[in-house]
Amino acid sequence: MARTEHLEGRRVAACRLAWALAVWWALWLPAAPATAQPRPFADALTAEDSGLGRFPAETARRVVSLPDDWSQTRPRERTPLWYRLRFDTTGAAGPAELLGLYIERACATVEIQLNGQRLHAGGPMSDPPLLNCQRPLLLTLPAALVQARDNTLDLLLEGYPLQQMASSRRAAGLSSPLIGPYAQVHDLHARETLLAVTLPMAGSALLLLSGAAAFVMARGRRIDSHLWYFGALAIGWSLINASPWWHALPLPVDASELLLASVPPLVALPAVQFLLHYAGWRSRPIEVALYAQCAAVPASLLLAGPLRIHTITTGWNTLLLLQVLAAMGFYLWSTRRARRRDFWTMAVLLAVAALMLGLELVAHQRPLPTPWLHLSSVVMPLALVAIGLHLLQQHSRARNTAEEGRQALETRIREAAADMEKNYAQMVELRVEQVTQRERKRIAADLHDDLGAKLLTIVHTSESERISTLAREALEEMRLSVRGLTGKPVKLIDALGDWRAEVFGRLSQTGVEGEWSAPAEDLPQTLSARAYVQTTRILREAVNNIIKHSGASRCSIRCTIDSGDFQLAIQDNGKGIPLELDGRLDRGHGMASMKHRAKQLHGQCLVESGPGYGTVIRLTIPLERHTTPA
Amino acid sequence: MKTILLLEDLPEIRAWLKTLVLQAFPDGQISEAARVHDALELVSAIKFDLALVDLGLPDGSGVDVVEKLRETQSECQSVVVTIHDDDEHLFPALQAGAFGYILKEQPREAITEQLQRMSQGEPPLSPSIARRVIAYFATQAKPQQPDLMPHVSLTERESEVLLRVAKGFTLPEIGVQLGLSRHTIADYVKQIYRKLNVSSRAEAALEAQRLGLFRR
Repeated sequence: MARTEHLEGRRVAACRLAWALAVWWALWLPAAPATAQPRPFADALTAEDSGLGRFPAETARRVVSLPDDWSQTRPRERTPLWYRLRFDTTGAAGPAELLGLYIERACATVEIQLNGQRLHAGGPMSDPPLLNCQRPLLLTLPAALVQARDNTLDLLLEGYPLQQMASSRRAAGLSSPLIGPYAQVHDLHARETLLAVTLPMAGSALLLLSGAAAFVMARGRRIDSHLWYFGALAIGWSLINASPWWHALPLPVDASELLLASVPPLVALPAVQFLLHYAGWRSRPIEVALYAQCAAVPASLLLAGPLRIHTITTGWNTLLLLQVLAAMGFYLWSTRRARRRDFWTMAVLLAVAALMLGLELVAHQRPLPTPWLHLSSVVMPLALVAIGLHLLQQHSRARNTAEEGRQALETRIREAAADMEKNYAQMVELRVEQVTQRERKRIAADLHDDLGAKLLTIVHTSESERISTLAREALEEMRLSVRGLTGKPVKLIDALGDWRAEVFGRLSQTGVEGEWSAPAEDLPQTLSARAYVQTTRILREAVNNIIKHSGASRCSIRCTIDSGDFQLAIQDNGKGIPLELDGRLDRGHGMASMKHRAKQLHGQCLVESGPGYGTVIRLTIPLERHTTPA
Repeated sequence: MKTILLLEDLPEIRAWLKTLVLQAFPDGQISEAARVHDALELVSAIKFDLALVDLGLPDGSGVDVVEKLRETQSECQSVVVTIHDDDEHLFPALQAGAFGYILKEQPREAITEQLQRMSQGEPPLSPSIARRVIAYFATQAKPQQPDLMPHVSLTERESEVLLRVAKGFTLPEIGVQLGLSRHTIADYVKQIYRKLNVSSRAEAALEAQRLGLFRR
């Protein structure tokens, strides 16, 4: 899995690199068309300036080949130097064509005379100087001044020796001037301006923006310290990269060189720290050393004096490059070991950055030919911006992950809260049920202990048999009531068992023959405690009547279940219940209370009786109202 | 001569029960107690043949006395005399070792007859108690720590008797149905009570052991 990711990362990184190279060569290629190209001057006659304001022809001594690098040809001289160039216009272009002079590099400033007439003055060389080293020059040669043959072009170049300058880019030197049709040299100038000034500036601006964005992202997040360092790195490098704009610092040249030479350690510090922090490693000693280095560089330059600036700076810059390369190596080593997904992206970007830094170091020591001269100042900002974009992508990805995590957490909290509420509701319900049950039990216990004990005392101490019987019946009633109060639903099959046992237990004491029929199979129905109790009372009353009043010798009890009704038929062969005067059955036999109880259960109790025919009591209770599914 | 313990807190009832017991066992020597504490003291002092124990007493439950009697005087017959007819009250007393139960409000003749029957080895068994016993042994039969638990189970005949009692048949009826004598049926019932007690004791011991392990 990790392996495929690595391969994928490598492929993407390679694609990006190919793209960048293609773009660079597309920019450079238009410089290559060799056809009808005006030829640059290969050499020039030179003379030391004698302050006359013109080419001192009498002291002209030697011919130098162009481009002329003072660090090679006159390393110690500071006096301005005249260059004389001769050219003819015949054959070069049509007579009516406007001619242009293009000088890619004239460092630091140049004054130009054509046939003795002054065409251009670069600027004063007194401090603070104007250093036009990184800006190409384009001049129109006025047609009135140009002759067909033997034109002389005199250039007075002023500049500073290399040892005094931090970078060879600002060391004195003259590239080969070029005279040709204006349109052609203009194109050359435009391209050179694009590469030397516009693109580095655009890159710097982008980098500045990236740095600012990194600062904004890093604000208030200690964990993202690498972003902070990246911001500092991006802004620092954007300042270095914008060097074409620092051609007119309001400082003496020694001071401005010192200042410019002090900047690289200030950029190396965030670079190294960024890489270490991004790799997840923080070291206090390294941080301290980097800060100390920032102070050591200017101090060493001050101590060494203005004439050794270049040497010292080269040494420092090499050291800084090595530090950054080491940090890059450490970063890549640790991310590869941690199998980070972005290893290959970062590896390619860092490789590009390392190459560009090397190129930059070389360009600091000696002038490089185009396009190498400008490559680093265009590509380096882009590489850094790409790293910045990569960081931004990672940042937003991390933020998305955090957001998802937060949402998941929120969902879980909400679910947990809902669960808790539900549990609480259930608990309350259960509690209510428990309290109710406990209260019922308490009432039941009170009834048993107090009322029951007293009734019992009456039962066993009363002189009167009638009171004794009444008390006993009251006790039984009370017990049934308590059962109705506290009882759980009773299975119909169990209820039948209880009833049979009770009826036969009582009949057996009296000699009345009993007959019982009931469904034998396991019945699924249940009776509520209330229905059970009321039916028990009715049955008990009926059996009482049979034993006490009917004089029957046998009785039969039939239990049936018929279309949702429970039916109980109690029949005896006794003398029947005598009618009252009003045609109703004797109340003394408890018929009214039986009927009342049946009515309470939404059922009915029918009594059929006649003298000599015995009695049938038919009780019907609708099961569905008093049963709960088994 | 029978030594009889009579534990009952209501004086009138106690007096009434006393006359009743004397009627059933004219040569009985009766020790009376109104509280569990007093009864336990009597139990540790006197050897009883029969104990009539009320359940709900001011200082506790008569079940404790039943238990103590079973532990120290295994020959003594404990009979619960109570106002509660439901199995929830009676079952723990039966588990503790009671031999039977008598409902207090029954007429004098009925109680006397029951007492005599019990002394002859015929304990009462109601359908609801029978169902409770069946359910109890059904849960015991489930395999749970077979090594720790001395397994007590009912024989087929005992189960048959219990099932018929649960359906509402009286013991004499069951005797007729199974072609057994009244005496044999009574022996089954006694055996059922004994097994209930043994199994309950084992269960209690196991529970105590478990608690002990837990506390350690």
